[in-house]
Amino acid sequence: MKHLRARISRVLGLVLAAPAVLALATLPALAAEGARFIGAPLFAEAEKAGDLPPVAERLPEQPLVTDMPAIGRHGGEIRTLMASPKDSRILVAYSYARLVGYDRNFELKPDLLESFEVAEGRIFTLHLRKGHRWSNGKPFTTEDFRFWWEDVANNEELFPVGPPAVLIVDGEKPQVEVIDEFTIRYSWSQPNTEFLPALAGATPLYIYQPAKYMKKFHAKYADPAELEAAVKDSGQPSWAALYNRRGNQYRNDNPKLPTLDPWVLRIKPPADRLVFVRNPYYHRVDRNGRQLPYLDQVVMDVADSKLIPAKVAAGESDLQARYLRFDNYTFLKKAEKEGRFALHLWEDSRGSNFALFPNLNCNDEEWRKLNRDVRFRRALSLGVNRHEINQAIYYGLGKEGANTVQEMSPLFRSQYRLSWSVFDLSTANRLLDEIGLTERDDEGYRRLPDGRRMTIIIETAGESTEETDILQLIKDSWRELGIDIFTKPSQREVFRDRIFTGETIMSVSFGVDNGIPTPDMSPKEFAPSTQQQYMWPKWGQYIETQGASGTPIDLPEAQELADLLAQWRGSADADERREIWDRILAIWSEQVYSIGTVTNIPQPVIVDKSIRNLPDQGMWAWDPGAHFGVYRIDCLWRELAPEALASLSPVEDRLQ
Amino acid sequence: MLRYFLQRVLVMVPTLLIISFLIFVIIQAPPGDFLETTLAELQARGESMDQNQIESLRALYGLDQPFHVQYLRWLFGQWDGLSYVKGGLIFGDLGYSFEYNQPVADIVGDRLALTVIVSIASILFVWIVSFPIAVYSATHQYGLFDYIFTFVGYLGLATPSFLIALILLYFANIWFGTSIGGLMDPVYVGQPWSAAKFWSIMEHMWVPVLVIGLPGTAGMIRRLRANLLDELNKQYVTTGRAKGLPPLKLLVRYPLRISLNPFIADIGSLLPELISGSVIVSVVMSLPITGPMLLTALRSQDMYLAGSFLMFMAFLTVIGVFISDILLALLDPRIRLGAGAEK
Amino acid sequence: MTDIGQQSGSNGNSRGGSLLPHFVNPRPFDPYDVEKVNPALEKIYMASQWRMMWLRFRRHRVAVFCGIVLLAMYAAILCVEFLAPYNQHSRNVDYIYTPPQDVHFFHEGSFIGPFVYGLDYRLDMENLERVYTERTDDPRPIRFFCAGDSYKFWNLIEGNLHLVCPPDSETPLFLLGSDRLGRDMLSRILYGMRISLTIGLIGVAVSFALGIVFGGLAGYYGGWIDDLLQRTIEVLRSIPHLPLWLALAAILPVDWSPMLVFFGITIILGLIDWTGLARAVRSRLLSLREEDFCVAAQLMGAKPGRIIFRHLMPSFMSHLIASATLAIPGMILGETALSFLGLGIRPPITSWGVLLNEAQNINVVALYPWLMLPILPVIVVVLAFNFLGDGLRDAADPYR
Repeated sequence: MKHLRARISRVLGLVLAAPAVLALATLPALAAEGARFIGAPLFAEAEKAGDLPPVAERLPEQPLVTDMPAIGRHGGEIRTLMASPKDSRILVAYSYARLVGYDRNFELKPDLLESFEVAEGRIFTLHLRKGHRWSNGKPFTTEDFRFWWEDVANNEELFPVGPPAVLIVDGEKPQVEVIDEFTIRYSWSQPNTEFLPALAGATPLYIYQPAKYMKKFHAKYADPAELEAAVKDSGQPSWAALYNRRGNQYRNDNPKLPTLDPWVLRIKPPADRLVFVRNPYYHRVDRNGRQLPYLDQVVMDVADSKLIPAKVAAGESDLQARYLRFDNYTFLKKAEKEGRFALHLWEDSRGSNFALFPNLNCNDEEWRKLNRDVRFRRALSLGVNRHEINQAIYYGLGKEGANTVQEMSPLFRSQYRLSWSVFDLSTANRLLDEIGLTERDDEGYRRLPDGRRMTIIIETAGESTEETDILQLIKDSWRELGIDIFTKPSQREVFRDRIFTGETIMSVSFGVDNGIPTPDMSPKEFAPSTQQQYMWPKWGQYIETQGASGTPIDLPEAQELADLLAQWRGSADADERREIWDRILAIWSEQVYSIGTVTNIPQPVIVDKSIRNLPDQGMWAWDPGAHFGVYRIDCLWRELAPEALASLSPVEDRLQ
Repeated sequence: MLRYFLQRVLVMVPTLLIISFLIFVIIQAPPGDFLETTLAELQARGESMDQNQIESLRALYGLDQPFHVQYLRWLFGQWDGLSYVKGGLIFGDLGYSFEYNQPVADIVGDRLALTVIVSIASILFVWIVSFPIAVYSATHQYGLFDYIFTFVGYLGLATPSFLIALILLYFANIWFGTSIGGLMDPVYVGQPWSAAKFWSIMEHMWVPVLVIGLPGTAGMIRRLRANLLDELNKQYVTTGRAKGLPPLKLLVRYPLRISLNPFIADIGSLLPELISGSVIVSVVMSLPITGPMLLTALRSQDMYLAGSFLMFMAFLTVIGVFISDILLALLDPRIRLGAGAEK
Repeated sequence: MTDIGQQSGSNGNSRGGSLLPHFVNPRPFDPYDVEKVNPALEKIYMASQWRMMWLRFRRHRVAVFCGIVLLAMYAAILCVEFLAPYNQHSRNVDYIYTPPQDVHFFHEGSFIGPFVYGLDYRLDMENLERVYTERTDDPRPIRFFCAGDSYKFWNLIEGNLHLVCPPDSETPLFLLGSDRLGRDMLSRILYGMRISLTIGLIGVAVSFALGIVFGGLAGYYGGWIDDLLQRTIEVLRSIPHLPLWLALAAILPVDWSPMLVFFGITIILGLIDWTGLARAVRSRLLSLREEDFCVAAQLMGAKPGRIIFRHLMPSFMSHLIASATLAIPGMILGETALSFLGLGIRPPITSWGVLLNEAQNINVVALYPWLMLPILPVIVVVLAFNFLGDGLRDAADPYR
């Protein structure tokens, strides 16, 4: 146990602290010398036939030269398994082609952009790559940005509540100046620290759209009769709905939508097998001038999430981590011995593997009052026996504590983890008595002021037995507090909706997503900022929609968090940002808005033995990190005999 | 015959109408409407809608209408006076899925066809397996194998199919290398039909067909055996035997032929059973048929999608029963003349 | 009599055509002799219908055996607390995924009664696997009629008496292994039995009531009511049950407590299954009305009340009971399927379906197969009900 733990931390330390193994660098010399670029053999015929320009013309003038441990060769595919046809969006995260993106050290680097400049934290000048093209061969220029800003984000039908909140600072929209075809500037009168991280997100903020293609669906540009026919044909209620369907770059469900990603969707979802074929115009090359990605295609097979571990063990996936859970490790380890794939454990970055979220906006008045009482939340947190959870479910491998930042974050302080999270029934009971919950029924359960037994219904998305098991353990220790709980599983969409509308008293879900923030990353997860926060969905919605819906914050501490977040966003000074973070974390850990359990549960990662360039140890983080995203799957390649590789290459008819 | 045919069609139509009504009542039962449940998700994705848009959507799908209007629209589509506008189950419009934000017809893809294929394969399986066993059991009543078959048959009835499915799935992979779950090797998904694809489907199909068909087979053996026994105890058989007909000829000539009727007549009770079985087995094995999608639709309260699937399954059984009735009438003149219509 | 039989038999075989030996029985001949009954036969002739059913049923050995098994199981659910070695939710975090323990009787050649060996636990960090080994030099006798987990019998009486208990506080007794929280599978199966078997009974009671009412109405009034009911039943039967159950289960309000859900599910199961019973009631009523004994009773001046309760009722009740018995396994399987698909009963209520739902996972098939054991009682119960129902059905038809 110790051994494994130590190994993980050691390697992670290396990954995080040591100089980058992979550096992204533009080598101007390369292009200047007119070095030869190498295109994928897959396109050889199309090039010969004149359907595609030669590779040198497909690349931007300054392609992004990527360094990597093992330079590879073109060809082959990887298969991965997903549980829903909607998961085509996952490849957008894994591909991680962003205007600016994090590298493995979680530093921001230009990616699609050739470069960017930030002045005073409020003026952002973005330089595009000359000659950069969309996957359909049309140029990627500032027109795509202008179109999105003027005709989409500010269109009342497409964005009824105005542009995304991240672009609004203190109610102020950015000033967008198109300087030339390849330069655009966004400026605010105050700093907007969240702008670049949002562009680099796993679910990124798209401030551009393929204008040429999307204009066909835009009421301002399209022929009204044609548009109306298209709307009717598609069964969509309005042109705006059709537009959103056709142009959702993140959901990636329209094969015709041009993209800048390394692979282009070829199959119209929903389908049980999604095929993505290499983008001929992708902007990255390796040191030898070979255009990336190496792999000709990525295949996603859709299967029931319960079957995925079994299918992985049977060798039906080449790269898999999603839908593999820690409790599959033993089973996968046995299958690993057959030698098809390697099984790694990656570090998880979540603040807590699972956490409980008392809903401060719930509709039930009694419970709302209690949930808002910090003593109640503290008592509940003290009543969780985290050690037992760790031992019973995670072989003692996890770290017990509150739902907060992890040790690897420079912001970490041990008191954040420990505060109100050390199992202590007597203090917990005293707190509950203090609140006045002294009435008990004949079975020893406390009563609410209105006489009901204190039975908390904890809702889950019911996707793993892990959650129900944790709740079972918590149920037993809360019994000692005189509180009963019921678990109610529902489907994820229903689960979310019930929380958003306030029907849920308490829910269990993943803890803080980014448990390893730096002071330069947004503290938005720790303050009311979006509806997706299960402890205060309505406040989050209020902030998110700039007051258009939801309810205003009416708890001073939460308001302070929201104010601090706003301050952080407006702060251009690194020290100040750090200070703000510290204050946020201090309030967060004192107020116990969510009740953490155990953190640092390793994530099993399966990778086929022939795949190169994926590190054995990594950080399994969603945002920032985009899971495999920062590990650059466009650099993966398969070390196989040429014939074996050829047999894995796409069939020609799929390209048509 | 034509008269009988028409009569059966006339019975089938109100049956389907009643079923559609029942299903619509069920899918309308949960509180709130579909838009409310999907609204939050839309907002979360940044595709926010304001109240006006919701209202216009609601109007578009007729969710603001009273129950009976919604039902009629769902079934018969939208009419403007006497001219047909759009929609309606009977015109093949399966409605709109709020979860996928697409017309249902675009989502179901091959699923409906594959459901029919799996159902037919299961029926064939039931027939092929139960026929020889039942004949053997009936002719060797109370013999050792009769007992064994009866017991195995009961066992097939008693074992929950989902667990067999899961176990077979796992071992089919270990023993035969069949890919886990699905109806074909992933390589063939979405590919045009070919010999290799067909073979792959065959290779995958046996597990679900076996599991789905097992309980049905047991029941079929029981009924066929009882029927055949009844027939064998009749006097004409005794007479035949007394007159020295060879046993095989005696068996095949009349009793067997008559006792074959349940094969066809039982489609009516077999089909609902098979489809129920296929739902649960397909969920376990992640088969690309209606079951798993029905389940997710029910769970996420995507009710039009669920309603369409329910309707499709009911339609399949009603059609199956209809076909079996027609076949039976062709086989047995007594039925089409109205004598044996009432069982 | 036997003499005649043998003689005529041999005569029949002889083809010689010689003179048949002639034999006359010297005993006095009474033509009504056949009608006379000896006391043993008289018992049968005078037996009530129930008794006759019982006599016939008794001959069906398998059915009797199954009946006994089921009776024992239903008796067991009354005192699950006592029978189960542990409580339903007692868990032992030190013994997670313990494989079933073997019960031994002889230790190093000497008999020391039923005992288990102490367990050594080791965590295999390479595979993250819990490995349990028996300490074969450390026999621990199982205790009987002993104090164990305390419980509230029927939610009324406090107690802690168990039929069997673990040998001591360190050594567990997991005869069927333990699950991922170290809960005893045997105890969970026993507690699950209470729910699953009850569901069968309540569900059948619901469909029984519906069946009798609707079938009775149809059979009694006939005419258009009968027609309407017949058509309705046909429609209902042509819809596959499981999807319909699923759809109905999906509309149970999300905020119902597990107990309410339990009743909801039971009623749903009963709601759809009444058609078979209604048909049985109807056809029985229709045919019995025409039976000779009914006509005879009428001719003898019996009042309708007497005919219905004294003559009709018993003869179709027996049938109904047989049909109901055959309907129960369907309900039990239905519950299992619903819970398995996650739309049925929810924890903390434990049913066999819930247990199987937890076993629906490749880890279990490959690593912890004993978690699939709840399948066995399901099979046993369904089989038993089927055999019992067959026996009852045969017995219920005394004149066949």
